[in-house]
Amino acid sequence: MNTRRRERIVDEVDAASCIVDGMTIAIGQPTPMALVRQIIRRGVKNLTIVDAGFSLDLLIAAGCARKVISYYAGGGFGNPVMPAFRRAAELGEIEVWECEEGILCAGLQAAAQMLPFLPWRGGIGTSLPEVNPELRVFQDPINGETLLAVPPIKPEVTILHAAAADAYGNVQHHGGPGWIDLFMHRAADRTIVQVEQVISNEQVRADPWKTTIPAADVIVRAPFGAHPFYSRGFYLQDNEHLREYSSASSDFAAGKSDTIAAYLNRYCRRPPTHADYLEEIGIRRLLSLHEY
Amino acid sequence: MNDYSIPELMAVFLARDLRDGEVLRVGVATPVAEAAVRLAHLTHGPNIELVFLGVRMNVAHLETIPMPAFGWDSRVVRWAESYSDTGHRFDRVKDWSNNVFFIGGIQVDAYGNTNLIGVGPDYRRLKFRGPGSVGTPTLSTHVGRYYIVLNNHNPRLFVEKCDYISAYGWGRGGADARRRMGIPGGGPKYCITPLCVMDFAEDSKRMRLKSVHPGISVETVKQATGFELIIPDSIPATEPPTAEELHVLRTRVDLAGRLRH
Repeated sequence: MNTRRRERIVDEVDAASCIVDGMTIAIGQPTPMALVRQIIRRGVKNLTIVDAGFSLDLLIAAGCARKVISYYAGGGFGNPVMPAFRRAAELGEIEVWECEEGILCAGLQAAAQMLPFLPWRGGIGTSLPEVNPELRVFQDPINGETLLAVPPIKPEVTILHAAAADAYGNVQHHGGPGWIDLFMHRAADRTIVQVEQVISNEQVRADPWKTTIPAADVIVRAPFGAHPFYSRGFYLQDNEHLREYSSASSDFAAGKSDTIAAYLNRYCRRPPTHADYLEEIGIRRLLSLHEY
Repeated sequence: MNDYSIPELMAVFLARDLRDGEVLRVGVATPVAEAAVRLAHLTHGPNIELVFLGVRMNVAHLETIPMPAFGWDSRVVRWAESYSDTGHRFDRVKDWSNNVFFIGGIQVDAYGNTNLIGVGPDYRRLKFRGPGSVGTPTLSTHVGRYYIVLNNHNPRLFVEKCDYISAYGWGRGGADARRRMGIPGGGPKYCITPLCVMDFAEDSKRMRLKSVHPGISVETVKQATGFELIIPDSIPATEPPTAEELHVLRTRVDLAGRLRH
């Protein structure tokens, strides 16, 4: 009889292999780019993607998205709206499930708690329920207030980036979790977390209050795995690289697809593993991103 | 004599309107607001709390509070006393009557409704797809008041009616426009642009010209606004920054001169 506790560490290639055409996936921030690049490399299609910003735009440019659940597709350098997102939405190539931060969190929470909906007030008076008919305006049965009913948002897989985890899936963020990560985790069938460091179980037990996600399903060791995004306590975001992407994405939105194709080949499709990607970026660039 | 830039004038105007003890929430990509909250904190708001994307701080004791080079520079956590992730930022909206927020838009209408969704009659084929609502629907619902801060002023931006509303300002007008919808927050107070400051008429809540920036004519503002603004009989010039305000702004906040270039 096997009495050994199951370890959950796999490499990024195996970890990403459970993400297949047509799935709903949620992507945390800082962005788990090692896993995102694997999804692109494998050419996964027709995903419904819960995400914001750079990684969302990259997945759209790479042709992986059919529908996006997003509160914000901005933040690109020189681009108030991320270009591939903008182009795909304007051409009707992707469907947008219009929402905002509070509504997204209510939907993820509803999924985690197996509720048919959760009420939310932010969005009353706006066009959100018009352009997203899945958000229903209703009168609350207690006081008769007008509120939005937000249906569950249920990712099949959530992928996250964090500071550290042990082999058993106990995840610790550096200085607390980022953005909507924990909501995405609780709502998902399965959570894959890539980490800067794998630490010992003793180290986790020395400070269990620091554990932000207990029992993540899969852990991937991915130092510099959020690059070109930041990873708190480890490195800053690589603005030079993000500018390179932003300009390729702008070209793509303007109907010129050779720069984005070159970007995707060089950084996402050609390097077979995360380590190969880091070699492509180069040690000097990576070390220059050291925090402060 | 005109030794300040328009973004500096805008930041100083906003800073003066912010009060000690308030919680000032700043989102992404608004350098004028980024500067204004820091300036208020240093000049007259030692009990102001600054919240940048969930990073909450009080740094009135510091000699300088530099602006970040870009919206979500993760280094602002060096000053944080606490951090709340997106999912928990809205946990205590019941206490937001002293919270202040700054909002932008791709369209702003005559009643202070703003649009970050898109432009065009057919939502499935927008002529211009906006970035999305971020957290503005919830923030504008609950904060005590907010400011619409724009770095442009033209008739495509200022429209009679937004194609889509992502943050409800004063709806289709009326002093009770928010109360009758059950929306607790105090709504937009001022809209500030590179040309002027506008407020909302007490009864109709339609946008009204409050002051024009020095050197800007009322006619210029009217031409640049795609709806009929309420124009009162006398319109003062926006009060320029004092030497002291400019000094604090330039030497303790905007060290890189982002508002000057």
